[in-house]
Amino acid sequence: MDLFLLFVSTGLVIGASYGLIAMGFALVYKATGVVNFAHGELVMLTAYVAFSLTQAFDLSFIPLMLVTIPISMLIGLALERIFIRPMLGEPVFSIVMVTIGLAVILRGVTMMIWGPDPHNLTAGVTTRVIMIGHLPFYAAQLMSIAALAICTALAWAFLRFSRIGIAMRAVAAHETAALLVGISVKRIHAIAWALSAALAAVAGVLFAMNFKLAPDLWFQGLKSFPAVILGGLDAILGSAMAGLIIGLIENLSQGYIGQGLRETSGFIVIIVVLMVRPYGLFGDKDIERV
Amino acid sequence: MLELRNVQVLYDRAIEAVRDVSLSVPEGQMIALLGSNGAGKSTILKAISGVLYQEDGEIVSGSVVLDGAPLGSRSPADIVRRGLIQVPEGRALFAPLTVEENLLMGGFTRNRAEARDDIERVYALFPRVKERRHQIAGYLSGGEQQMVAIGRALMARPRMIMLDEPSLGLAPQIVDAIFDAIVDLNRSAGLTVLLVEQNAQLALDVTSYGYIIENGRIVLDGPVEALRANNDVQEFYLGMAGGERRSMRDVKHYKRRKRWLS
Repeated sequence: MDLFLLFVSTGLVIGASYGLIAMGFALVYKATGVVNFAHGELVMLTAYVAFSLTQAFDLSFIPLMLVTIPISMLIGLALERIFIRPMLGEPVFSIVMVTIGLAVILRGVTMMIWGPDPHNLTAGVTTRVIMIGHLPFYAAQLMSIAALAICTALAWAFLRFSRIGIAMRAVAAHETAALLVGISVKRIHAIAWALSAALAAVAGVLFAMNFKLAPDLWFQGLKSFPAVILGGLDAILGSAMAGLIIGLIENLSQGYIGQGLRETSGFIVIIVVLMVRPYGLFGDKDIERV
Repeated sequence: MLELRNVQVLYDRAIEAVRDVSLSVPEGQMIALLGSNGAGKSTILKAISGVLYQEDGEIVSGSVVLDGAPLGSRSPADIVRRGLIQVPEGRALFAPLTVEENLLMGGFTRNRAEARDDIERVYALFPRVKERRHQIAGYLSGGEQQMVAIGRALMARPRMIMLDEPSLGLAPQIVDAIFDAIVDLNRSAGLTVLLVEQNAQLALDVTSYGYIIENGRIVLDGPVEALRANNDVQEFYLGMAGGERRSMRDVKHYKRRKRWLS
């Protein structure tokens, strides 16, 4: 039983990281209709930015996030402006190809600036073990789960109550109609990228704190993909939920079935979901009234 | 208030949808733009609202002039801010959003407090919409959706509204209610209206001047009374055959004559 709970708890921790990354994917997809394949790289880049900030200013966690998030949003805005905005009106496929190219560029740039060696990012958080019941946690692990909860709540409130958030859903629902009521679709796209980059920063820093900061961190983007598909590509809150589920599935299948299944199980989920329920658990089926 | 001067629209730089269209909508008037499917009515409205680019369309010559100033390549949001709004064909509501959220988005170009106030004005105009305010817009009936679409447009406090086939797919009773509301807005609030319709009977009843468009060109225009009296309009748009059927040869003659007229 303890072993099971251990699998579950570590599954939730890695799942929280998937969830945060998946939310970033879903946010850009929902607002712009584009799967941003460079999102994993954005997660990595922002984690490295945070690392440099701690090197330079020795910031503790909260101030570090308060600085890293705005910088990340600026990076997101810049990427959208330089690489995505000029593609407006082109077929979605072309834009997706641009994000793939962007991903490779970001990987190269990160490697160039920070080098190939792994680093530790602690941000002044204690590495003592905290016991909850019988289960041992690191503080950073608990922070991951808390961060997912906070980001989910903020995203929910943003989409439900803020004018920009409602406008984002409006653009997703009917872009032409959104233009005709005077919503600046370009601005909404830019905001989506900025917010997605902010989520990437939270995910990146926490992942680096829990594991390590290395140039293969971008791969977490791909590993979060099962969560995005399971939640539904356009379901921002659903993706957060699905991240936890995928984390659990991965950990339990590794624990009880076999070592190699960790990476595989998530992608098996993708295939099953696409066959059975292509819009995911929480995605929008189009509303059709006959 | 709004004027189109020799507007020509191409899709994909190749397909000509609208050619040499000139029309003018004077302040405070209700003007009809009539034509059958594919005549270019919606293209004209999209050109005016600046959303042609979404479908790879472009105004290649001529100009759209609002209040004496050419719109050029202004953004759709800018055009809304200058007081010109469009209710697109088929309602085009934000289906997964609630009715109230739809209306709120209509007021996007204005500040939050103004938008809140105006929602009440829309509810006063369409009490049915108020009853449904917390429902998902996509699940309303067609008539209710049309009311929400018009209400959403009014939220921008427009000086001029363009309606693209508001009667499409609605029961006659509901069409009457909606047309009454539009006429009322025109008379009491001085709202300028450009009404695009396939249903000529309806449109000629409420407007003062009409344009008839076929194959992307304006083939006929005039005061409503003159249009009504026109034999061709009677036969082809009002469905009055004028006694016995005419032979095909006469129909061809009509078409030839009309091309010549344009």
